[in-house]
Amino acid sequence: MATLLKNHRRYDIGNDLEKALNRVDFFRIFHTMSLRFGFDHFGILQLGNENDACMLSNRLTLHDLPSGLAEEYDKRHRFGDSLVYKSLHASSISSVWKADDPHLGNGSNLLAQLGFDLLLCVPVSGINGARYAVLFLGDSDDIERQEHFELCYDAIAAFDYFYRLVLSNKAGLGLTPRETEILRWISHGKTASEIALIVSVSEHTINSHTATILKKLDVVNRTQMVAKAIREQIIQ
Amino acid sequence: MRALMKKVTSARIELHYRETIDDALEFIRAGNAVNMVLMDNRLQPQADFRETVPAMRQQGFIGPIGVISSSVADPYFQKFEEYGADFRIDKSELDPTAIEFILREYVTKE
Repeated sequence: MATLLKNHRRYDIGNDLEKALNRVDFFRIFHTMSLRFGFDHFGILQLGNENDACMLSNRLTLHDLPSGLAEEYDKRHRFGDSLVYKSLHASSISSVWKADDPHLGNGSNLLAQLGFDLLLCVPVSGINGARYAVLFLGDSDDIERQEHFELCYDAIAAFDYFYRLVLSNKAGLGLTPRETEILRWISHGKTASEIALIVSVSEHTINSHTATILKKLDVVNRTQMVAKAIREQIIQ
Repeated sequence: MRALMKKVTSARIELHYRETIDDALEFIRAGNAVNMVLMDNRLQPQADFRETVPAMRQQGFIGPIGVISSSVADPYFQKFEEYGADFRIDKSELDPTAIEFILREYVTKE
């Protein structure tokens, strides 16, 4: 990910971010970040059209919330009705929310419904303008101005790396040697578990590479993938 | 590690602890069902993940393998995927939240 100039890499943000390779690495970065600023959890939320029906569990692209919490929330509440969700579509200024804010009543109090006392929302966007928000949740009373600013900066920087490495649509980009190798085995009719055995990685890794190849070639299934790869002379 | 796993409430975890890479390989060879391997980077005799993970793969294990170390930022760790590992995590980062996340990513999705 050595695409940034020194101008971008102020302070110490580059240290861990330059080394991040996969979702677990970004989980580690965001999880540590939330603990460092006195929060317990983080969530990266994909924002869409405000009027689209949406569920919290579907919009979280990476999070460390307790397992099942977002799904339980969705069974009882409508995320689209929460003031937090609406405010993320009304402004791109970071916002701080407390469970006991008097104006958060009438079923729109996301914090109380999730069982936390403090929420910091940092609106962010990918380099193509796709909008997301990084949420930090915890039970502190408040966050100081300086910490608020620092956390916003760190969250924006970490999200930028996360977006470019993991979330961005890589259509049109070239395949790596490992991806080409996997594509070749797929064209020979091998299953993911068979390819995992052949190239000595996990089946999970093969599925992850396959998903990336689908994105890069802009195709929807393995058959179309192989057909296009032959057409484009990526494989013979 | 056992105490840590007990704090994870969203999944029933059965932990099989093997002290050496040979014991771990024997455990896999015996056909035991293993959903995930968490491997200490330094195992006896002087091996690190660059030897132990490929050895595990050569036994035909295609499940997820995570490497635990207190030096995951060392330059040689940048190639963990090339050696067949799925993820790395620092010892100090391994808490119940991290375990839950890893299980969601690599076990329950499959």
